[in-house]
Amino acid sequence: MDTLNRIEKLISRARGERPPSIDVADRVLWRIRVATASPAPVPIAPWGVLAGLSAVAASIILFLAINAWMALSNPMMELYRPVMVASLW
Amino acid sequence: MLGGIDLAAGREYNRPVEEQDRLDIQASCDGDQEAFRRLVERHQQQVAGLLWRFTRDRNTLEELAQEVFVQAYFSLSSFRHEGSFAGWLSRIATRVGYRFWKKQARSNVEYSIQEADLIEQPEAIEDIDPAAAGKVVHWLLDQLREADRLVLTLMYFEGQSTEQIAQRMGWNRAMVKMRAYRARKKLRDLAERQGLRETLGWIR
Repeated sequence: MDTLNRIEKLISRARGERPPSIDVADRVLWRIRVATASPAPVPIAPWGVLAGLSAVAASIILFLAINAWMALSNPMMELYRPVMVASLW
Repeated sequence: MLGGIDLAAGREYNRPVEEQDRLDIQASCDGDQEAFRRLVERHQQQVAGLLWRFTRDRNTLEELAQEVFVQAYFSLSSFRHEGSFAGWLSRIATRVGYRFWKKQARSNVEYSIQEADLIEQPEAIEDIDPAAAGKVVHWLLDQLREADRLVLTLMYFEGQSTEQIAQRMGWNRAMVKMRAYRARKKLRDLAERQGLRETLGWIR
């Protein structure tokens, strides 16, 4: 008898093997629940406070920056001033 | 519970399995997870039977079975009721098992004839313990490439034709036929190289 035929006879015998009994229902449902659970909402209050503080800080900086800008004078004015006085003569 | 009355669920179970499946599938699609539990409980042993051809490890078997049912749950709406639910599950189980094989790096373990030695020479093939025969066959098939192993597993254990295998795996039928032919040849060569001709010489 061919080796393959012998193996096939062995396989036909193996077909009668009973697999171990399993009970996966609980685990399956747990995995489904985990997969379908909606993610926890991100708390918005801390982000709101942080945004408010940033806005206040930005307003202060803006206020100071505008004042500083207004106080700026043209440095070239010191050169022009004598000329401007001379022209008055 | 089949053929009786499930008092907890308060429903009759005199209906044929297909009808129960249809109702439970519908309920599962509507979000009733207890209906899906009934489907799992009804079919888990059949799925285990198929997956037992892909692994001999009980823990892995349970993990693969879970994977099959989780995938089935999320694809349930695509089930068309054209074939049986059991057949549909078998297709998913085959793909899950095949992916498991592919993920597993083929071990470089030197295969020895030790497994075959587990079989003591009985008078007739009927005297062999099916579990021992299964262990030897699994050990032997394990040495083939995944695709060859799958074709032979489905042919020998599931009684699938080349056309059914092609359909189940989405492969070309001619390719499956050729692969089956080559895989059987490889199996024979492998067995002869391992000295199985002598070890199994008592099989008539």
